[in-house]
Amino acid sequence: METNERKQYRFGMVIDLDKCSGCGACTVACAVENNVAPAVPSTTTRNGLTWMNVTAVHSGAAYPDCETVFVPMSCQQCENETPCLTVCPQNAVDIDPVTGIVGQVPQRCLGCRYCMTACPYHARYFNWRDPEWTDGMTQQLNPDVAPRMRGVVEKCNFCHARLHAARQKAAANGSREIDPADYVPACVESCPASAITFGDLNNPSSPVAILAADKNSFRFLARLGTEPKVHYHSSKQWVREMAERSKTRTQQEAFHG
Amino acid sequence: MDNLLIPRGVRRTSFGSFLLWLLPWFAMLSVGLYAIYLCLAEGLFHTNMDNRFAFGIWIFLDLTVIALGAGAFFTGFLLYIVRRKELAAVINSAVIIGLICYSGAVLVLMVDVGQPLRAWFTFWHPNTHSMLTEVTFCLTCYLVVLLIEYLPIVIKNRQLRQIPKFLVFEFELHKLMPVFAGIGTFLSFFHQGSLGGLFGVLRGRPFAFREELGIWPSTFFLFVISAAAAGPSFIMLTTRLVEKITRKRLVRENVYQLLGKVSGLMLVAYVLLKSIDTLIWINSTSPGTGFPAFEYYATQSFGTWILFTEIVLFGLLPALVLLSSRLRSDRRLLFGAAFMVCCGIMLNRFVMTIQTLALPTLPFDAFLTYLPSWQEVAAFAFVIAYGVILYSVTYRYAVVFPQERELNLAAGPESVPAKQSLLSRLRPRFAVQLIQKFVSLF
Amino acid sequence: MLPFVYEFHWTPFHVTFLLVFFTLFSMVAATLVLALRRTAAKDTPEQIEHVRWHTDFEDLPAALKACRHELRGDVKHRTCPNGFDCRTCTVHAQINARVRHRPGMQGFQVYGFSMSPYRLYHRGHTWVQQEKDGTYTVGIDDFGKRILGTVRSVELPPVGSRLYVNGSGMLVRSDDAAVRVLSPLDGEVVAHGTEEDDWLLKVRAEQDETATTHLLTADEVPNWILREMERLQASFATAGVGVTLADGGELAPNFHRHFPKADWDGVLGQMFLQA
Repeated sequence: METNERKQYRFGMVIDLDKCSGCGACTVACAVENNVAPAVPSTTTRNGLTWMNVTAVHSGAAYPDCETVFVPMSCQQCENETPCLTVCPQNAVDIDPVTGIVGQVPQRCLGCRYCMTACPYHARYFNWRDPEWTDGMTQQLNPDVAPRMRGVVEKCNFCHARLHAARQKAAANGSREIDPADYVPACVESCPASAITFGDLNNPSSPVAILAADKNSFRFLARLGTEPKVHYHSSKQWVREMAERSKTRTQQEAFHG
Repeated sequence: MDNLLIPRGVRRTSFGSFLLWLLPWFAMLSVGLYAIYLCLAEGLFHTNMDNRFAFGIWIFLDLTVIALGAGAFFTGFLLYIVRRKELAAVINSAVIIGLICYSGAVLVLMVDVGQPLRAWFTFWHPNTHSMLTEVTFCLTCYLVVLLIEYLPIVIKNRQLRQIPKFLVFEFELHKLMPVFAGIGTFLSFFHQGSLGGLFGVLRGRPFAFREELGIWPSTFFLFVISAAAAGPSFIMLTTRLVEKITRKRLVRENVYQLLGKVSGLMLVAYVLLKSIDTLIWINSTSPGTGFPAFEYYATQSFGTWILFTEIVLFGLLPALVLLSSRLRSDRRLLFGAAFMVCCGIMLNRFVMTIQTLALPTLPFDAFLTYLPSWQEVAAFAFVIAYGVILYSVTYRYAVVFPQERELNLAAGPESVPAKQSLLSRLRPRFAVQLIQKFVSLF
Repeated sequence: MLPFVYEFHWTPFHVTFLLVFFTLFSMVAATLVLALRRTAAKDTPEQIEHVRWHTDFEDLPAALKACRHELRGDVKHRTCPNGFDCRTCTVHAQINARVRHRPGMQGFQVYGFSMSPYRLYHRGHTWVQQEKDGTYTVGIDDFGKRILGTVRSVELPPVGSRLYVNGSGMLVRSDDAAVRVLSPLDGEVVAHGTEEDDWLLKVRAEQDETATTHLLTADEVPNWILREMERLQASFATAGVGVTLADGGELAPNFHRHFPKADWDGVLGQMFLQA
């Protein structure tokens, strides 16, 4: 018997910080995939559009022991009381009930930037100026993704156009379920170190679910209680403690260190 | 030249010197207009805001002026609902100040958002769980109420009231004013509160996040009460400023005393609740999310002094001055305290907006700094210039202070001080004084 | 915002939120419409004059609104709540029933103003005298004339037009200001006074019994004039002229000329009870 019930997905990813070399391929692939216009010369790290942003974090230890880890951070796809969702005055942020993906609807966005204030991960970006492509570049725009205009907020949506394409392919084959191999976001695909594992967290046998359940997996600012669907993985204890703020500095250290 | 438009029995400077007074303000207005044009026509890259500091000086000042403009609703509430007739002396001024503050804030907001033409989306498909939706709805509605309240002041102009329809309309509107005052109070309660809730709900910003009381975070109630405390103080200050500039007495001393007392009462309630809220936040809310509160004050520029200044120096201190009838009868203390109240509320709004955004949330993030660009400052200067011009024009051509004519044409007697009640003769302790103050207020 | 528009949720919170907003907005709109409708309904000259007086009266300083019984000494302190219209005032009726009306005095001078015991006075400085034919003559009292100074023109309502108590009676233009003098009576204008007459208007009143109830009688006039003198003095004292009238003194015959810099528009406006 045919059922109308659709499969309930919960897409998420695990980023292995042990593997990430900080090359930035994910950032570039993401920008190309999602038609993010090239930055103008005056752009800084604080006002550019980097849906996937890689930051170098140092352990702070003295010379022979010092370590650095690169943290690629995109929208963390919060699941519980999604901070940006509840604050948007005009429903420009939505969660797809089928995939769990937090989406941004730029066509509805007023540009009030309240969601950016609400986001603890600073994963939302505002179009401070009109996007501009040099002549040749318009030829290589992704036809499946609408470019955004000035004055609206945008962010990672796990490459929505790719999900759409996967669905269409599945529908053409007469299936209601997408093939996991067909839906891989650009950052995952481009990572030369294969540091990012993507998939359905609802499927306990999927690589992403298995890796997320690993004891060395963690999430940033987990104690805020927003339940992000982007997990990180590191074998280094200082990285895990840093991310979860589980080992907070004492008052003495805070004021003198 | 414009003598026929000036209210009867009051003295106004010559038309020439009035224009001269307006000239610098118009200059400021044009610079601001240019800055606004740049932001609207070319984009918000003209500001120094960025993805990390997504709210800047505009939101901070919007919150401040809306708190200071609360005098309009609170004076209206006390005059028309509680029936404190003395406040009729400042209600017109309060309405104009309120109108300037609110329309100015809305104007700046329209520049602040990226796509102002989409503002109507909030009405068409609102997310009713967002504090910003509540703010938008109440602010728009209240601005309409303020315009309706401002209308009678304009059409009561000496020449306009010669038109019978205007005369009668002003009369009829005046009779219905308690309805507007009531609605204004209701709306103000919600949008002042929602402006506080705006930051209190930010789960992702532990510095701002507060526990919920009912469906609102505690900052909702703190903002309502602090606005009610700041409103009367700001009216006192602006009235005094107009008195200084025009070198005239405009209201009787008892009006200042009452406004001071009301401000002090609200402030003492605010300081009490704010202290409780801060303690709960330091000891439970913030550490519960992995952010021990002392971390917020580890950065030197925003040390604990800011907390002390906000609650004690600009909170408790002026509250005590305003509550003591002996202290507040000294004009310097009265206006000094009122000034401190306004500074305190401004500081609170600063902390909630700028400090919230400056503090890092991600463990590897640094403390962020931001300095507004000249366009941001100029756009707000536009609002100040617009306010001064609107106030000046209204003051010149309409009766803003009903007591002005009496106080300046005929030297009216100071109102008789109220009889000392039995309670006050007992020289009671502070708590009894407080109860007595409440009794005498209502 | 509206049911069946996208993003409308039939959840209690959403529906309540929008209902409250719509209710408030309709209340604002309804109240505004109510004011507009009431405005549209009030279009007769009587209603407009009534509104004008009540708006002006509202704005008068409290000291000016003293009840006539305070002037007469019947009550210690009372502010008139009726816009100086004693015809419907219950307090006035009660006090009148209780306190015997003292007989009128002979022709008298009050602080140098000649007032007549046969005339009734309106608080806006007009007098009313009943004529033998039952009509009333109306003129500006001596106090009013003296403070007006040189009158350039008087605009009288045309014969046949209606007058309303405390409504516009006439427009007097002096060298210093234009003043709307209030009408002391309800009635119809039947004649204009000529140059020889000391009256300006002859009025046929409508209700005869209560037509003059609200006007001041001779025994109230001295105290009233005293207060008016004080008021005038106070006006000058703060209008940058300094003390002008020594206590108990009288107005110089043409004292106007001594104060060219005074705000006559303001002074006269207040003395003739208008905003």
